[in-house]
Amino acid sequence: MANGARTGPRRDAPFEREAARRVFSQELREARIHFKDGEDEKSPTYVLLPSGERCNRVFLVGTLTEKRKQGEQNVFYRGRVVDPTGTFMIMAGSYQPEAMQQIARIEPPAFVAIVGKPNVYETPDGTFLITIRCESVTVVDKEVRDTWVLDAAERTLDRLDRFGTTPDSERAKKEYGIDPALWRKMVYDALAQMKL
Amino acid sequence: MDFSETAERISQKFAQKGYEADKSSIEKKLRRLVQEFGVPPAEAERTVTNELSKQFSIPPTSGGGPGAEQEKEINGLSPGEWVTLNGKVVALTRPPSQVIAQTGIFADPTGAIRFVVWAKANATPMEMGKWYRIESAVVDEYKGVANLKIHSGSTVKEIEPGPSFFPQVTPVRDLAPGVGSVRAKVIQEWEVTHERMFQSGLLADESGTIKFVIWREDGVERLEEGKVYNIFYAQVDEYNGRLSLNLNTATCLAEEGDIEVASGDTTATGAFVSLTQGSGLVKRCPVEGCNRVLSRQNYCPVHEIQPDFKYDLRIKGWLDNGEKTWDVLVQKANVETLTGITLDQAVEIAENNPLGMDEVFLRMRDTILGRYLTCRGREIEGRILVSSCSFEHFSPDTLAALLNRAGGES
Repeated sequence: MANGARTGPRRDAPFEREAARRVFSQELREARIHFKDGEDEKSPTYVLLPSGERCNRVFLVGTLTEKRKQGEQNVFYRGRVVDPTGTFMIMAGSYQPEAMQQIARIEPPAFVAIVGKPNVYETPDGTFLITIRCESVTVVDKEVRDTWVLDAAERTLDRLDRFGTTPDSERAKKEYGIDPALWRKMVYDALAQMKL
Repeated sequence: MDFSETAERISQKFAQKGYEADKSSIEKKLRRLVQEFGVPPAEAERTVTNELSKQFSIPPTSGGGPGAEQEKEINGLSPGEWVTLNGKVVALTRPPSQVIAQTGIFADPTGAIRFVVWAKANATPMEMGKWYRIESAVVDEYKGVANLKIHSGSTVKEIEPGPSFFPQVTPVRDLAPGVGSVRAKVIQEWEVTHERMFQSGLLADESGTIKFVIWREDGVERLEEGKVYNIFYAQVDEYNGRLSLNLNTATCLAEEGDIEVASGDTTATGAFVSLTQGSGLVKRCPVEGCNRVLSRQNYCPVHEIQPDFKYDLRIKGWLDNGEKTWDVLVQKANVETLTGITLDQAVEIAENNPLGMDEVFLRMRDTILGRYLTCRGREIEGRILVSSCSFEHFSPDTLAALLNRAGGES
């Protein structure tokens, strides 16, 4: 205080953006635990990755093999994206106008970089579906895809190294009961494909 | 007289010695003495204090609190003390409220402290640069910063000027909230973000960097980028754990010569996951010293409509390594190399395209979004001001290392 001019611009608490996790589709497809952090309507929601980390946003690079426009009044796009470990579904609707317009312009097949939020749905017959609601979808080249595979491999290995030592991974261990060695093998296989 | 404040002060004083004095009964007694019996406020305070001292069997003191008579040096004051100081007014600032008569900085050869003179103190106004003896003031703490309160029980007397002295200069890294003096170089000037702001930027010395602000006021002067200054008696403010210097109270003396400044560089590698609005081709306000980005209607928040804007290129967005995200700001030269679009080309695209400036944004988005980048620059308040950046490439060595890591430990 001690100066009237201090009542300057209002400054908000520093904004922390959620980091976009790197995860291979094979692992992502096993995720089914999702939860909200906090009671607030705007509290972030997370998907618990089987390798033991919560994730609110993902960054993935793969090949868009198929896209489909759906809906009559509320148009939205669905797409299938393939990475070295499998396939995952993406979608973008009227609440993601930027991503929707981007998908509309892409002609599959194409390498795409996707930033989005994972969502878990349980179908009436009890199976779980994971889709990525996209924030952005950009066409990239093969080198970016390859760089991403290394990045996703490294981050997955980092999570596995921490497995059992963090509250999130304790929970993943209990709830999923999947042997983390499986993910290590997945990483190895994904990397081995690139050598060819 | 503010009875509740005085009562609080008295009860605090006893609390410090380990006695519990009931605030509301103190207040009642004060009120009674002043309002019913016409006792002057300072006298009433003394009466109540003495009465309590007697009650707790503490030897009575005259006037203020314990130690009030003893002369102190500014360096070494602690909150809650009653003090008498001899020193000089080195800064006067505009009081934030009518209940405050004066605010500023009081200094002696050992240090400096912000002060507040309550309007109710009825003290003769102090003048800049003159020496005073302040008796029975209270050292208080406001937002973690020591503060000298001059209240109705204090006396302020002008005295003969003491020996001339220079303030102690502190390395930037060691600054703490309160008052500080530094010898530093202006290494960056920033776009001002508020109309009441006159100048802001970054100061650095050998030990570190700190943000500075000068608010619009009569007589304030601009600092020159690249120059070294001796800055005496700036206010060191803290917000969310980050310090900044408010130079409105400070005397800034430009100096010849140069100093080697701490680099403070940050390097971040990750995927560029978001290009935020306000990226691409932007228009800036042409008014000298403004440079704000104009809205679509060429509107500057301070200088209104500016048809003779200047064009510029910038990229704002988020770089993300999967664990951490950085807000990055890339300026023209680097935007041109990253995107391959020069300012002239961008202007041409904007002028010949139905989408206008949006087209530039979209083209830049398609070139950099989802790509891996390394950005180097200075990190300030969670944002990297990028001085150099480049695309990352696929590394076969990393592949080999990761294969070992994935295969070796299973």
